[in-house]
Amino acid sequence: MSIVLARIDNRLIHGQVLETWLPYVHANCLVVANESISVSPLKRMMMEASVPSRVRVEIGSIVEITELFASGILDDLRVLLLFATTEDSLTALQNGLKFERLNLGNLHAGQGKTQFSCTVFLDPEDVENLEKIDSAGVDVSARCIPADTARNWRKLIPGRRLRIDQR
Amino acid sequence: MVKLSRLTLLHVWLRLLLLQGSWNFERLQGGGWFYAMAPVLRVLYGEKEMQRIAREHVGYFNTHPYLAPTVVGAVIRMELERAAGKELEIGVSEFKEMVASPYAAVGDALFWGGLRPLAAGIALLLAAKGLVVAPVVFLLLFNALPLWFRIAGFISAYELGIQSVEFLQRRKLPDLAIRTKEATVVLFGGVAAFMVFQLLDGKQKPLWLGLLAVPAVLLCGYLARRGISTLMLVLLSSGLILICSLFSADVAVWLP
Amino acid sequence: MISAELAIGAGVALVCGLDRIAALQIMVSRPIVAAPLVAWLLGDVAVGLEIGLMVELLWLARLPVGAAIPPDDTQVSIAGTVLAISLGNLLGQSGLEYQLLCLLIAIPFGKFGQFFDRFARQYNGRKVAQSDRLLETGHFYAMEQAHRMGLCCFALAALGTYFVIICGGLIMIPILAPILLPSLLESAEWLRLALPLVGIAVILGTINVSRALTLFGASFGMAFLLMWLV
Repeated sequence: MSIVLARIDNRLIHGQVLETWLPYVHANCLVVANESISVSPLKRMMMEASVPSRVRVEIGSIVEITELFASGILDDLRVLLLFATTEDSLTALQNGLKFERLNLGNLHAGQGKTQFSCTVFLDPEDVENLEKIDSAGVDVSARCIPADTARNWRKLIPGRRLRIDQR
Repeated sequence: MVKLSRLTLLHVWLRLLLLQGSWNFERLQGGGWFYAMAPVLRVLYGEKEMQRIAREHVGYFNTHPYLAPTVVGAVIRMELERAAGKELEIGVSEFKEMVASPYAAVGDALFWGGLRPLAAGIALLLAAKGLVVAPVVFLLLFNALPLWFRIAGFISAYELGIQSVEFLQRRKLPDLAIRTKEATVVLFGGVAAFMVFQLLDGKQKPLWLGLLAVPAVLLCGYLARRGISTLMLVLLSSGLILICSLFSADVAVWLP
Repeated sequence: MISAELAIGAGVALVCGLDRIAALQIMVSRPIVAAPLVAWLLGDVAVGLEIGLMVELLWLARLPVGAAIPPDDTQVSIAGTVLAISLGNLLGQSGLEYQLLCLLIAIPFGKFGQFFDRFARQYNGRKVAQSDRLLETGHFYAMEQAHRMGLCCFALAALGTYFVIICGGLIMIPILAPILLPSLLESAEWLRLALPLVGIAVILGTINVSRALTLFGASFGMAFLLMWLV
């Protein structure tokens, strides 16, 4: 048993992850695959300090994380894997990281992003990335916290698809 | 360096009480952040400059409301340095982004996950006994720590600036939250036992029946984990009890 | 008479509803505080205490984290209490079984709270672009005003939820009371116990404490045996 949940959440480690998902999936290891956090010691320290000490935390760039999984150190742990963007998760998938499901948590608003659900804002590039992830056989669904019902990401799209293409 | 009057700081602190007043899915607490910072920005900058600076204060932001004063305090210190012409080691937006999630994680675990159920459990014991002070006890027990964090966090962060983030590292708050939760679970055992005992004793029923409460709770907990909503559980359990009560006369024959 | 009592309830609903998200957060929005508060104003604290006791734990595990919106237990408990006291006076009903009936009808209507709450947040979201334009033109006071207006949205959402539950109760309780009250009379005490136990179960199911069940079982057994023997 290795990856029990892979999630895209631009806030990475925060209350929703630690208070709801961690106990729900019984994870005992948090892996954060993010370039900008992995290079800044201060950001690393902040992230690590917000997690209880009995949960193992690994922070690294996508490449480092892929190597970490390949090395097999994490095989005995139940891992909750976090990405900040759809691009990161696609890169990880292409680098050979395997996960069967991908959870869309918070993807916050920004320039050119369209709202698809309360917490999911995507731009055309994101949609393209998700399309690729989906076609690789990963089940992509939006679910903010375990108490919400999971909705397949395609169900979020239809009505607004046109507006994205027009941009 | 410009010094801020205590009145301005108090103004900011009071405005922080309305931090989530315009909470929305795009900026989360972003609007409230600007609302709280506005008095300081107005003192430090002129009209034109403020417009430039304010852009850094309207963006996406979200943290735990009780720890937001700690972030604001540190950012006020940073703005003071910037207004005095010093180079900042880390940008305001970057600092906000960096601390928001970890603070939120710690606050959610400690206050919502740990302290609130603990205070509620104690208040519930008093309420089950019929004591009217229960709500007051809850408010006092719960609010002491958040209020301390809101006030002391704001003041010390204002004095320390960026260094204020070290409190996160020094105090093992996430572990403290786990301890609080463990205490809560034990307390809930007591609360459940008390209420079950109170009922059985009052109804003159055999007391061993009370031990059945444990498997009942475990079953409900299991169903909740499987995704059955609380509303469903409430309706199911009350329906079940209503049906049982219709046959209670028949069942009573089987009881010793 | 009942309209005055409904208005008092609305006042409490407003204050406590704002406390949930928009302002202060001193937890007067918790059922264990809100229900006794409104009951005290209506002259019967004991009713509020009972309802607060039964509702408090149900959604305690649903944390107000980030964008997650928990069901509105504040308005459920306030409206339930108002129905139990005011409508009870009107119908000549009182007692635990009648309070339970009000509560069991109020709880499903609490679902509307989530819709209203989400609507308020989305409405605030539409104001973001306007606020950005104000920034570009340098109207800072107007931006602050826009933030304060957000409070009004949350206030309306709270009142909306309150009145939906009240209306639902006013329609359904007089109809259901003759049917359900006799059987509720039998089981009222058991239900009073069942609701907090369901709440505890939900919390145990979602809390991140290892060996939560062991701890709970041991402490339950210990406390129960002590009370049994002493």
